[in-house]
Amino acid sequence: MMTNPNGIVTQGQFSFLPALTDVQITAQIKYALKHGWAIGVEYTDDAHPRNTYWEMFGNPMFDLKDAAGILLEINNCRKTFPNHYIRVTAFSSLRGVESPTMSYIVNRPKKEPGFGLVRQESDGRNIRYTIHSYATDKPEGERY
Amino acid sequence: MSNETMKEGKERYKAGVLPYKKMGYWQPDYVPKDTDILSMFRITPQAGMDPEEVAAAVAGESSTATWTVVWTDRLTACELYRAKAYRCELVPNTGPGTKTEAQYFAYIAYDLDLFEGGSIANLTASIIGNVFGMKAVKALRLEDMRIPVAYLKTFQGPATGVIVERERLDKFGRPLLGATTKPKLGLSGRNYGRVVYEALKGGLDFVKDDENINSQPFMHWRDRFLYCMEAVNKASAATGEVKGHYLNVTAGTMEEMYKRAEFAKSLGSVIIMIDLVIGYTAIQSMALWARQNDMILHLHRAGNSTYSRQKNHGMNFRVICKWMRMAGVDHIHAGTVVGKLEGDPMMIRGFYDTLLDTHTPQQLEKGLFFEQDWASLNKCLPVASGGIHAGQMHQLLTYLGDDVVLQFGGGTIGHPQGIQAGAVANRVALEAMVLARNEGRDIWNEGPQILLDAAKWCGPLRAAIDTWKDISFNYESTDTADFVPVATGSR
Amino acid sequence: MSETDPLLAILADDAPVNLEAEFESSNVKDVLDKLDRELIGLKPVKTRIREIAALLLVDRLRKQFALTSATPTLHMNFTGNPGTGKTTVAMRMAEILHRLGYVREGHLVSVTRDDLVGQYIGHTAPKTKEVIKKAMGGVLFIDEAYYLYKPENERDYGAESIEILLQVMENNRDDLVVILAGYKDRMDKFFHSNPGMRSRVAHHIDFPDYSADELLHIAKLMLAQQNYRFSPDAEKAFFNYISIRMTLEHFANARSVRNALDRARLRQANRLFANASKSLSKTDLMTLEAEDILASRVFVEGKLDMYGDEGSDIIAD
Repeated sequence: MMTNPNGIVTQGQFSFLPALTDVQITAQIKYALKHGWAIGVEYTDDAHPRNTYWEMFGNPMFDLKDAAGILLEINNCRKTFPNHYIRVTAFSSLRGVESPTMSYIVNRPKKEPGFGLVRQESDGRNIRYTIHSYATDKPEGERY
Repeated sequence: MSNETMKEGKERYKAGVLPYKKMGYWQPDYVPKDTDILSMFRITPQAGMDPEEVAAAVAGESSTATWTVVWTDRLTACELYRAKAYRCELVPNTGPGTKTEAQYFAYIAYDLDLFEGGSIANLTASIIGNVFGMKAVKALRLEDMRIPVAYLKTFQGPATGVIVERERLDKFGRPLLGATTKPKLGLSGRNYGRVVYEALKGGLDFVKDDENINSQPFMHWRDRFLYCMEAVNKASAATGEVKGHYLNVTAGTMEEMYKRAEFAKSLGSVIIMIDLVIGYTAIQSMALWARQNDMILHLHRAGNSTYSRQKNHGMNFRVICKWMRMAGVDHIHAGTVVGKLEGDPMMIRGFYDTLLDTHTPQQLEKGLFFEQDWASLNKCLPVASGGIHAGQMHQLLTYLGDDVVLQFGGGTIGHPQGIQAGAVANRVALEAMVLARNEGRDIWNEGPQILLDAAKWCGPLRAAIDTWKDISFNYESTDTADFVPVATGSR
Repeated sequence: MSETDPLLAILADDAPVNLEAEFESSNVKDVLDKLDRELIGLKPVKTRIREIAALLLVDRLRKQFALTSATPTLHMNFTGNPGTGKTTVAMRMAEILHRLGYVREGHLVSVTRDDLVGQYIGHTAPKTKEVIKKAMGGVLFIDEAYYLYKPENERDYGAESIEILLQVMENNRDDLVVILAGYKDRMDKFFHSNPGMRSRVAHHIDFPDYSADELLHIAKLMLAQQNYRFSPDAEKAFFNYISIRMTLEHFANARSVRNALDRARLRQANRLFANASKSLSKTDLMTLEAEDILASRVFVEGKLDMYGDEGSDIIAD
């Protein structure tokens, strides 16, 4: 159990708000589509802060006109991985950006084990820090 | 030369004193080249002085001229090296019939060969080196510059840039949240780190040293670094987010700054900090170091108001923004609009555009006098700091957009329920406002209601609103636009 | 963001509603007028479209009194020979559905079997889903839909695509409308073998072939758009041409007319070039003469070449 004020991993744009409803997610997708951003659905069983590459639930979706298609994929992903972290990421191809422009979590494990801080004492008072995912103590695929 | 006002040949170089205009520094027909560096000065001439002569004097003194004619000019391609004042016009709402004495906007073009590549020190030694003390001007202010692409390409630019910073932090689509540890002075390293830990665990992305926290008797720098990094890493593990603390490496010598920066790196910090007062060359050196060491470089604009605040003398902050983007910092304090420090909304937007655009069009109402192509230099993230709190979130988001660090120092640490609660209040207010904005709601008008709605389920936000609901700093800005946008039919 | 559809605010039983005003405010009339202007003839089709628009409009009013709640099934089947205006009508239908609020965006995504069905195991589902996501908020137009079903090949992946389409047509009625299209007899057979599909299609519209008169009218419109015209003799010749062409194989209504006109323009250019010494007037450049039409193989040999063309080789002599 994590001890921050929310008791959950707080990555993404909206982790401090109550879990988004499908209606709220649809509105965020529309905002991205209005800007012409592609949208990807990604999932992981290890939400380590430096774990950049979550698994893609299919390629990012380009050229869609309507939010329903993306919500469909989000819900398919939730059905397939009900106890994983799932995030929605928007990508801009604009010169000077060419990078994600939105990212928010839409699904979480029921219990979030969080992370431990491993300290390695070295020269003098220096300490080397490692953040360890408790989830990775179990093999891949058996974590949540 | 086609210009009648300029004397030529023998007559021009006769020993003695000649008006600057006649020495070739006033060329109203001159068409600036794409490679010229352009400057725009606000000139207040001494009583009775011809403004064009004063403009020519500024051009002369900031390039090749001295008070008298020298024959050695003729050993050089002096016509190329002379800066050329090519436009001089009365500033709106000054001069006869107004309360302000006459001021003039003087546009001056400098050839690229006047400057050493990659050196802010050299650029500024010319442009603001001598001219500000000239007797011919009562007051002088550098308003804006156009830096040609050719010259920009000789600078590294921001070590990391907004895009890569966001990728490293894994934070997209919202402003970043920060706070400055308070009190500024006196905390021991251990106590100082406590503030950092609480604020980061509560939900902020960054905490920051203040500009004058270096290595004082109450807290030596190594202590601060060690305790802060313990706090950062512990908060990161507790939240699953990348967190940072701007460790201020400002010191008396470059050697000492490098030493502190290396130590910050060895402890795994993602960001370090310097102050503007270390000087342009030191800033450029630290920017090179930051790029070599995967470090975000935060700049506190300590000292700038000594020369940027008065409207008739000194230099506009937007010029500092340009120089600092060239010099290579990743963050710079650039105003809050609504907080305790100076700032007119349009002017501040102009600073933000200068730091963030890939191409800035001329926009007089924002004080942007020149079109500026940024030649793919990285973007520099503006920081809004000073007297802001969660209750202003809708105004901050409207004025400042997503690409900004909002620093709530007092607004976090001074929260009645504690520092973590203060951080929660700020983060909830921010996320609720971004969510509403993306949903297409009119946050400027509905903002207070959106915050109240979120406060229904978020006690810390409720407490923050109750504590600071009436706090605002409504003083008139000294740095305002000379041009007011006129509504046209098409908008 | 409001969670409730404003239309769902239920009116009192005695609240008056004005069908005329509702019709005006929906701007559907613009689309119907546009359809009238764009397409010659097609009386029965236009009548059916009008009927469907009226039905949807009334349905919308009934919703205001809570007399209906579910989204009606809107999937359609357009049957008819090639070149009878099915795609154009589908485009206008998307617009009508959009204006009445039955689809959110109103775009048309037009596909055939190749866009939906993969060649290897596991390819079909992603392909079909990709197309469906693109069409969401609008109309998915599947031309020659019967090619999805190949009963002679048990392992054909088309069946998988049909399966996915059926699910979406049932579960995502708010998200998209599917229009199937093709030859009448083959569509009938397709529905016969796929009763699931048949039960999900609410409206069947048959597109009749154009009469020779209508085709001549279409030809003249096409020419006018390109600043050409028939001489009086050429017009007669073209009418004869159409009458013969209609009896030959691969006849594709308006499409055949367009092809024939393209060829006639080539022959005209060739004719003008052959008499290059003569100075030409604007009228010369605009006018197709009878000989430009009569050189067609349809007249010369009473048949088409192997490509179903009227003989592009003939212009060379």
